Amino acid sequence: MKPILKLDRFSAWYGDAPALRDVSLGVYPNEILGVIGPAGGGKTTFLRSLNRMNDLVLNFRMDGTLAYHAIDLYRSAIDIATLRRRLGMVFAVPVPLPGSITHNLALGPRMGGAADDLQARIEKSLRAAYLWEEVKDRLDLSALSLSGGQQQRLCLARTLMLEPEVLLLDEPCSGLDPISTAKIEEALQALKKDVTVILVTNNVMQASRVADRTAFFLQGKLVEVGPTSQIFVNPKEKVTHDYISGRFG
Amino acid sequence: MTRWIKIIAAFFTSLTGLACFLILLILGVIVGDILVHGWPHLSWEFVSTAPSADLAHGGIFPAIFGTVALVLIMTILVVPLGVAAAVYLHEYARQDSKLVHLVRLALQNLAGVPAIVFGLFGLGLFVRFCGGSIDDLLFGGKLTIGQPCILWAASTLAVLTLPTVVVATEEALRAVPRNYREAAYAMGATRWQVVRYVVLPQSVSGILTGGILAISRGTGDVAPILFTGAAYYLAHLPTKLNDQFMTLGYHTYVLTTQSPDVEATKPVLYSTALVLLVLTFALNFAAVLIRSKIRRKLRQT
Repeated sequence: MKPILKLDRFSAWYGDAPALRDVSLGVYPNEILGVIGPAGGGKTTFLRSLNRMNDLVLNFRMDGTLAYHAIDLYRSAIDIATLRRRLGMVFAVPVPLPGSITHNLALGPRMGGAADDLQARIEKSLRAAYLWEEVKDRLDLSALSLSGGQQQRLCLARTLMLEPEVLLLDEPCSGLDPISTAKIEEALQALKKDVTVILVTNNVMQASRVADRTAFFLQGKLVEVGPTSQIFVNPKEKVTHDYISGRFG
Repeated sequence: MTRWIKIIAAFFTSLTGLACFLILLILGVIVGDILVHGWPHLSWEFVSTAPSADLAHGGIFPAIFGTVALVLIMTILVVPLGVAAAVYLHEYARQDSKLVHLVRLALQNLAGVPAIVFGLFGLGLFVRFCGGSIDDLLFGGKLTIGQPCILWAASTLAVLTLPTVVVATEEALRAVPRNYREAAYAMGATRWQVVRYVVLPQSVSGILTGGILAISRGTGDVAPILFTGAAYYLAHLPTKLNDQFMTLGYHTYVLTTQSPDVEATKPVLYSTALVLLVLTFALNFAAVLIRSKIRRKLRQT
């Protein structure tokens, strides 16, 4: 199977500080790739390199190649706005924009110039994010009035409105209660048939629950990547084992 | 020993309190004096008719009309320009670039230039150069807009109030959380869309505050319009952009210094000052109303 995303000796720096070193990795269609590792290990840099969000950081620079469907993302003349619609991102902290739930959801399609059939798409996205039942009667309410867990599911739905091919999730459950976390995990399992998911998480157990494959990052390096069962039961590297069993991190 | 500490503490407490009281007192005296002396002469006739040629009789309607027209034109000129400049500085330009540094420095200096210098500058740049050039190019050298008039006076005031608007707008833009911008970028927004859909709606009330400050400043200032369009006495109202005009500020100055009979014009002078105060408050109040209306509208959507 051909990978959707392929990194080849990809390195990144913020100013002089290295953040990723020689990462080579493929991401395949319709899988959930869990990304684990201690803080500062390069997980978020990895994620934000994929949709070129790091371009917003002043001193960011990179080396190596990152290919999306065999398009070299950092060297071809691509439209970054379009790229970010194909690779939709959800942040660690829920960021609902001021305005109604509908406004939040309609904004992406509106900015992309494809705002037809909005009502149906809003319902579909909210259902996919397991939020529809809770908000269907109050779509005109301010998005800021939702609870934290609901806000994060709204952000997921907002990203789904873009009909992305890949979902980039940056510790999406870090501040959420167990019930909201369970709902998001359930949503991801269902979404897998349509999209590819890259899930960065600080919660090792979350990776073991939802990821098909898991990658372990340490100090900017990809230590190892493999089927989740193998990473958790029989990792090749001792550091992986130590991290998973909670000896550090 | 402790008694002394208590006395010193009490002394400084009353000193700071006195400073605050003084502020109230000054404002009270100004407003009170103008109110007491200006009120008796005030009438509907006074605010709705034109002055007599010797200025001692009649009303001040042309000056009210001129002030409002001047400030409106100024606002139309300065707000878009100031907001655009602030958006470029804060949203588009690289923050470490020399250009940004230079523009910021220029703004600070602009804010420190005395108003009368702006008046001379307006005469040179707008009236002579801009107006003169337009006359030469479009009207075959016939004197049309190359003279002091309401457009050039409003332009001069716009330059004067530009730093206020830019600084207030930048302040408002800075208050928009970085998160919001990132969320919009992650949704595939272009830079312009981030500004249009996220940053500007969030900062509109701060921007309007800048506009309000500019209006307050522009309503009463005389020096910048002295050479660029304000008239001593006009029998007719300005109807075109190249007409001269009267304003309350300039009228107050004229009544004080140019009247043949100072005692006779005194009631007129006080009432004019009162109307100027009221008008400044009214323009401010109108802007505040617009701002709160927009705020409410934003909260609903």
